Amino acid sequence: MSYDDMLYLGATDGKIRAVNPEARSEGLPFPSSDGEWSFAITMPSKSFLSCGDSSAPAIIYSTPVVVDGRVCVGIHDGKVMMLAPSARIDELHFPHRKSGEWTYPDGDDVIGAVVGNPVAVGDAIFVCSSDGAVYALDASSGDEKWRYELSVEKLWTTPVVQGEAIYVSTFDGHIYALSVDDGSLLPWSFDAEVGFASSPLLYGDTILVGSFDNNLYAVRIGDEKPLWRFQGGNWFWALPVVSDGVVYAVCLDGKVYALDAETGKAKWGEPFDAGSPIAASPVAVDDSLVVAAESGDVYVIDMQTGVGARIENPEGDEKPSIDGTTVLASFCAQDGIVYIRAQNNCLYPIDVAERERKARISLD
Amino acid sequence: MINLWNLVILRPMLNGLLALASILPQEVEFGLAIIVLTIVVRVASTPLVLRQLKSTKAMQEMQPKIQELQKKYGKNKQKIQQEMMKVYKEAGVNPIGCMWPMLVQFPIWIALYQSIMKALATTPENLLGLAEHLYSSERIAQAIPVNSHFLWLDLGQPDRTLVLAILVGGTMWVQQKMTTAPSADPRQQSTSSTMLLMMPLMFGMFTMMFPSGLPLFWLVSNLIGISTQYFVTGGWGYLKRPAASSSTHSVPRKRK
Repeated sequence: MSYDDMLYLGATDGKIRAVNPEARSEGLPFPSSDGEWSFAITMPSKSFLSCGDSSAPAIIYSTPVVVDGRVCVGIHDGKVMMLAPSARIDELHFPHRKSGEWTYPDGDDVIGAVVGNPVAVGDAIFVCSSDGAVYALDASSGDEKWRYELSVEKLWTTPVVQGEAIYVSTFDGHIYALSVDDGSLLPWSFDAEVGFASSPLLYGDTILVGSFDNNLYAVRIGDEKPLWRFQGGNWFWALPVVSDGVVYAVCLDGKVYALDAETGKAKWGEPFDAGSPIAASPVAVDDSLVVAAESGDVYVIDMQTGVGARIENPEGDEKPSIDGTTVLASFCAQDGIVYIRAQNNCLYPIDVAERERKARISLD
Repeated sequence: MINLWNLVILRPMLNGLLALASILPQEVEFGLAIIVLTIVVRVASTPLVLRQLKSTKAMQEMQPKIQELQKKYGKNKQKIQQEMMKVYKEAGVNPIGCMWPMLVQFPIWIALYQSIMKALATTPENLLGLAEHLYSSERIAQAIPVNSHFLWLDLGQPDRTLVLAILVGGTMWVQQKMTTAPSADPRQQSTSSTMLLMMPLMFGMFTMMFPSGLPLFWLVSNLIGISTQYFVTGGWGYLKRPAASSSTHSVPRKRK
């Protein structure tokens, strides 16, 4: 997540990091005094072998969201947390309520695992949890506004909000619409024969979502049948990008597809082949699409033609662009630079115009 | 090598497990699929198990003779070895014959274990990893994600009620006890008694640490093992026999 020249990153080591790209380019030790901070979230240990008050690092899959200058993040261990950068820089006790920090639920209580991203709209934060419920929280206090139980397992997706409705896709093959105001179920829902592997993406009044039968569905809100379906070679796990009426969808079959948003017809003669599964959502910068494959290779693809160039590794052509580590996290674009965080806890800035990897920033 | 393993063993088993889950009642689909597949695999490996049991039984029958040799030749280990080999040869028994059927079964158990863990997909990385192993089939796609609830268990989480741990440990102890011959040698007896307790205790502890889909597989496997031994080798074996005595090495009589 990029906000106010800072990058906010969550990681499976339980740390939230605020990274200043400028300080990183100067090679200062992390965290520097230029607004950077790192906060390690711990949770009470669940292992039966642990005794006393032992704790373990939390696991963070979700991408943080910035709300009024504060950073909100969902925790796999069953919490939603709001952090204030000022309190984290000063290393005050968390949650420092005077700075606007809170946790939901309070104290040692937890909800189901939070995997998807929190979504902030107005004074509310919406989040899905593995206990099968959608939560609406007050962004200021963290108080629960409403909670709606969808009774599905593994609600790992990120909801999407449009107008008065919040849309949620589920692993059991439904798209539900809930009222933003009170969480009540709205009359329309969409049912598919297989589960949805990805979160929904809204484009106008059409929802795009990937399914476990390797299809990308386009569903018009209010319709019972999909507008179109496009069959890939594996799951469409990551959120696509939509630009100028074209859907750019990455697939675990290693291909990037450009599809007409109205018809689902392929726009490029051949899909772009990245050679290994693509699990991270791409990002569009000007007329280029930046894609990272599981192998660690990063490509900049011309969105008109589908012709792509591989980003070279400064340490040698034969090496994958970003050291052969898996990329699962979403990217962050800022001033023509795309920041890719890999599983080795390093951040790789890619200059899209220059088609060049600028550095390797260790966040340890 | 990994690709070959995935192609020939893991993928067929994983997809078979998911296909099975897709045709079973949804409320219990994955728990029942684990049970059914464990039974299928155990039945398919019955010839190997029977061979192993036969070899074990033959070895046990020869124990009195072996002990006589040990007494006769005392500390001359080389002579004991030579004489033992003669005895094995005369009886037509290969001393490692009871080992290899077990070794052949190991890959099957490992693949079954991997299949269960992959299918449960308890984390996003696991679910993502599952995608590369699936066949392109509507039926398999419909099984994902599997319903991890079965009886009182969440198969993707460790069972904290201790019930499963006691069942796994208990059945493992019974299965081992049925085949562990008591020894007249106090030192050997002490070692086997410790082993008899250690393994069930260890697996009981593992049950409280691993997602309960795996202990469910151990439990079913133990129960099938107990049944096989009961019907093939005759009754409860050494489970019902008195403590070590000079006659403990006789073969348990077959139940009528």
